Amino acid sequence: MYFLRPPLPVRSSQKSLQFSRHWCRRLSQAQGRLETEDDWTNFQQTRTSLKTLTDAMSKYGSTQTSQWSLRDSLHKPAKDATLSALLASGAHFGHAASRMNPNFLPYAYGTRAGITLIDLDHTLPLLRRAAKVVRAVAANDGQIVFIGTRPDIRPVVQRAAQRLGPQGFHVGDRWLPGTLTNKWQMFGYETVRSKRIVPDLVILLNPIQNMNAIQECALSNVPTIGIVDSNVDPRIVMYPIPANDESPRTAEIIAGVLSIAAREGIAIREAEMQRMRLAVDTAWEDFEQMYEQAEQATEDGHPSNAASFDY
Amino acid sequence: MNILRSQLCSVFRRPFHRQLATTARPFVPPAQLVFHDTLSAPGAKELDDSTVEALIDEANKREPKNDDLDSEDSRDKPHPDSPNFYTGRPSYYDNIVELQNAISRTRGTLQRLHLLPLPEFARKSLKPMPTVWKTPEEMTTDFETNMTISRYRRITVLLNELNEYLRIATTAGYADVADKIGSIIGMFESGKKEAFLSRGIRKPVQLDQYGRSYTFGKRKTSAARVWMIPVKSSSQGSSQDVNVEEAFGLSHAYKRAPVHVTVSTILINNIPIAEYFPQPADRERIVRPLKIAGVLGKYNVFTIVRGGGTTGQSGAIAHGIAKGIFAHEPETGVVLKRAKLLRRDPRMVERKKTGLAKARKRYTWVKR
Repeated sequence: MYFLRPPLPVRSSQKSLQFSRHWCRRLSQAQGRLETEDDWTNFQQTRTSLKTLTDAMSKYGSTQTSQWSLRDSLHKPAKDATLSALLASGAHFGHAASRMNPNFLPYAYGTRAGITLIDLDHTLPLLRRAAKVVRAVAANDGQIVFIGTRPDIRPVVQRAAQRLGPQGFHVGDRWLPGTLTNKWQMFGYETVRSKRIVPDLVILLNPIQNMNAIQECALSNVPTIGIVDSNVDPRIVMYPIPANDESPRTAEIIAGVLSIAAREGIAIREAEMQRMRLAVDTAWEDFEQMYEQAEQATEDGHPSNAASFDY
Repeated sequence: MNILRSQLCSVFRRPFHRQLATTARPFVPPAQLVFHDTLSAPGAKELDDSTVEALIDEANKREPKNDDLDSEDSRDKPHPDSPNFYTGRPSYYDNIVELQNAISRTRGTLQRLHLLPLPEFARKSLKPMPTVWKTPEEMTTDFETNMTISRYRRITVLLNELNEYLRIATTAGYADVADKIGSIIGMFESGKKEAFLSRGIRKPVQLDQYGRSYTFGKRKTSAARVWMIPVKSSSQGSSQDVNVEEAFGLSHAYKRAPVHVTVSTILINNIPIAEYFPQPADRERIVRPLKIAGVLGKYNVFTIVRGGGTTGQSGAIAHGIAKGIFAHEPETGVVLKRAKLLRRDPRMVERKKTGLAKARKRYTWVKR
């Protein structure tokens, strides 16, 4: 945005960079080995002063007000997905048009450059529907498993599961076949009898690579939510979300929306439990008051009131 | 025994199935259904008799309820502990996640302290901190998963990165950061770390009350015990010596500091070296360490050597002498190591093989 800057020569910013680079080189040449801790302290102090200088010089001509960081999409995702955010993440890119699954047709916008474009006007309501399901399951103390078995989406499922607390689980590496159908052998008798093994909801960020998991969920009657791409039959999962399964940004957006919905569900449940506890406590207090009154009444000689409290 | 067990199973199963057949039971989501009948669970055949009896007793004690007991039971059960439960390897993945978190936290701290990224000259000044991680077998018992090479490598890569941060923190003097990292790393360090790091380090040779070193040398099948003591230099040249240069008036031509060289003795099995080793090559081999270290004539050497022949014995004595010089003067270590004199020569006589005339010599090849 050069036209917004004051009329200064373009090189001024570059000069400051050259200046700092020159300083760095001089600094490294001047300093030999760092022998003592004082050497290290001096080294750190020089670096601090250099950084302050560079920061001061680099601000010349503009004021940075935005606090956006590249990590925010993973660590601070948005509560609701917007069309522009999905477009920016490349959620509308499907696979090759020749590979399109005919059952995917309702969610396809069209073809361009040999690939199927996914209609995001369908994606958004389906994502909101999935979020509602997740919220309801989490609000009923349900166990939710996030499955994302590629190295780039491993941190996504990890962070998403973290948001749910004790109800959230994730699988970042291979889903072992038989986790649900062979649970007695996999986890042992003690664990199966003492802990809840079968999850209440499974969310798949790359369903094609986890057909074993989908099959097992179907056999164990576990509802599934999944990101379906254009080469996939959307009916393999219960609540499909048509989007690009290869983009990590899309996975971050979708997993973020679903995990925040789950967190809301847990908060709703917690508020509900709190309300119920309060109601029960007040009811107990009222009951105790009435019982005391009845006892006093029996002492005074009124048998009918006492009998009504005789359980 | 199998027949008895199946009879027991059938006895138990009948009332349960009768319960299931009623339509008065309210609908329960199938996911909430739980196998009360453990005996009919897959893999129940492996149960031993005591377990079977215990399970039957438990099932008989449990009173049948009218309402949906299955969903109640699943609701009462707690969630699994680890978020990595469904990977099948919760302990292993928990540790990986913990290490990754530790690395990212430490990296942030060091970046704020301007210790990361570290330029080359600073990296060279870091203290060496060799570590020995637990073996895959030890980690297998810790993590309850089979540690394959890929899994072990994944853990050790993370541990090495954390160790680098520990080096930076300790060298720069941030003890609290270093302690925190050290406590995490300590969980993965092998108990045999000290033994492993001190392997191959020889005990330093102590000089006895008279200033003698006692060292051992070997070569081929010979073994030599070597005692070395510094020669006592008495007077700096006797007064009866005639300075020839002064006599001829040449001393003013060029001044040189007179070098007073002591004369030392080398005794082998109480026999002087010249007598014991008539071959100059053997004598040269023995004297070589003294020449290289520049201490020829400084030490008197007494050795007892056994076994082998001339080459073996002279080599063994040379090995012992080199170790003795190193004991008296550790500064010569670099020079002696470069010349490979401190190394026990591993070459031994190769055995004769069947079908060959000698170790390597083949019989004459015959065409027919």
